[in-house]
Amino acid sequence: MHATRVLSIMKNSWTGGEATGQPAGGAGENLAVAVHRCEAGAFERLIDQFERPLFNYAHGILQNAFDAQEVVQDAMMRAHRALTRQYDEARCAALALRPWLFRTVRNLSLNKRRSKRGTLEQPLENFDDGRLGPFLSRQGSELERKEEVELLRRAMSLLPVDARELIVLRFMEEMSYAEIARTVGQSEAALRGKVFRSLKLLRDALEQKGVAYAM
Amino acid sequence: MQCRSVLTRIDALRTHELPPIEETAVESHLKTCRSCGASVSDVDELASVVKALTVAPTRSCKSECADSFDRVGDVFVAFRGSGIRMISTGNADDLRAAYAKRYGRALEQAPIPEPLRRQVEAALEGEGVDAPRVDLEELRDLEHDVLQMLTRIPRGQVRTYAWVARQVGRPRAVRAVANVIARNVVPFVVPCHRVVPSVGGIGNYAFGSAMKRALLEREGVDVEELERLGRQHVRYVGSRTTHIFCFPTCSDARRIREENRVPFRDADDALEDGFRPCRKCQPVAA
Repeated sequence: MHATRVLSIMKNSWTGGEATGQPAGGAGENLAVAVHRCEAGAFERLIDQFERPLFNYAHGILQNAFDAQEVVQDAMMRAHRALTRQYDEARCAALALRPWLFRTVRNLSLNKRRSKRGTLEQPLENFDDGRLGPFLSRQGSELERKEEVELLRRAMSLLPVDARELIVLRFMEEMSYAEIARTVGQSEAALRGKVFRSLKLLRDALEQKGVAYAM
Repeated sequence: MQCRSVLTRIDALRTHELPPIEETAVESHLKTCRSCGASVSDVDELASVVKALTVAPTRSCKSECADSFDRVGDVFVAFRGSGIRMISTGNADDLRAAYAKRYGRALEQAPIPEPLRRQVEAALEGEGVDAPRVDLEELRDLEHDVLQMLTRIPRGQVRTYAWVARQVGRPRAVRAVANVIARNVVPFVVPCHRVVPSVGGIGNYAFGSAMKRALLEREGVDVEELERLGRQHVRYVGSRTTHIFCFPTCSDARRIREENRVPFRDADDALEDGFRPCRKCQPVAA
């Protein structure tokens, strides 16, 4: 019904200083303006700061390093174009840079994923909210630890895409729920439930892969 | 608070992201409920283990994103990756300033990839350059389309501004198209000198008409003939044997024998006389 109102809310969710208070976003606020003003090296600094986390996120969604690389590069070019040519200075100054970049990568990754395969994985609804169960990390040799990481990786790839992306954002990039909410466009309350369910799914997947658990 | 609600709030509690009321409620529940209390350590454990899965890109996208410039012969060339993005006949500072204005990016001096250097050199020498590697992606729609279209005008031939406007689907925007061509960011490599006014002659050029004339003559265009046809208001030539009409510089038009050559002032005249437009130079929309 109120499509324009929803749009304007979405648009406004990028402005306002609250989310820029995050550690990575603290310098980011000035960075967006610096890029807008074409200061020497500003865009390079932006790449340095965000390339790895964005790649990690795209990889979490796509499970493919080559595609992730392509998405990140595309996102960087788009971000640069937006900051220098589409947004005025006030909008750059008010921009929550980190969630904005992550959202760009998210959209591009999901587009890529959609264009690559037609099948949709199980959505992250309808799972029970019982106890998670502990994960027994084996304090073993180097080899065993590598094995464990490999198992984890495979377990991750079994998860539905929204679970993967939440695990990446929350536990690898250590985003706050407020920032994740801006990135994926859902409420914090909904996300709390989904993050928990994602962890539970990951643990179940690990069990399937034969990692030992205490009950 | 129920166990179900508590479990989903455990993770937010770790980072103190819950509203104060919920925080106290969850904490008091955790003190009394053993099952939920155990889940706190479950979440902690999994959360710390998952971090090991962080992946890093094998190479940075910086080189693809970095903008560089180098000197080639008498000009300065800005490029990114393997695409030419701007050419300036001024000094390095001119190029930097123009580049920042157009693309909003700073330039660093770096050696130009060898294939690109050869291509620019060939273009400056007036040798045939097939499909110059230009990167026009960041230009605006019309500018992008127009410059792309210019690369399709063959060496030794000319087209009119109106033709370019029509080919990019903006037949009435001749003036706008001409402005874009006049501000060509990659002169010589994208042959903006091969576009002339419909009324005849060779028209103006960013580096002066004399330069345009020299460039065209070097490519084998008979400029004097063009000017003569212009004075006679002849825009197209047709062949009496094939009943096809072309732009005068079309490679097929130049093969028409003198006795079979029919001049036309207007495409409609040609069509009325039963001639059809050439499919190569497309004097009329296909």
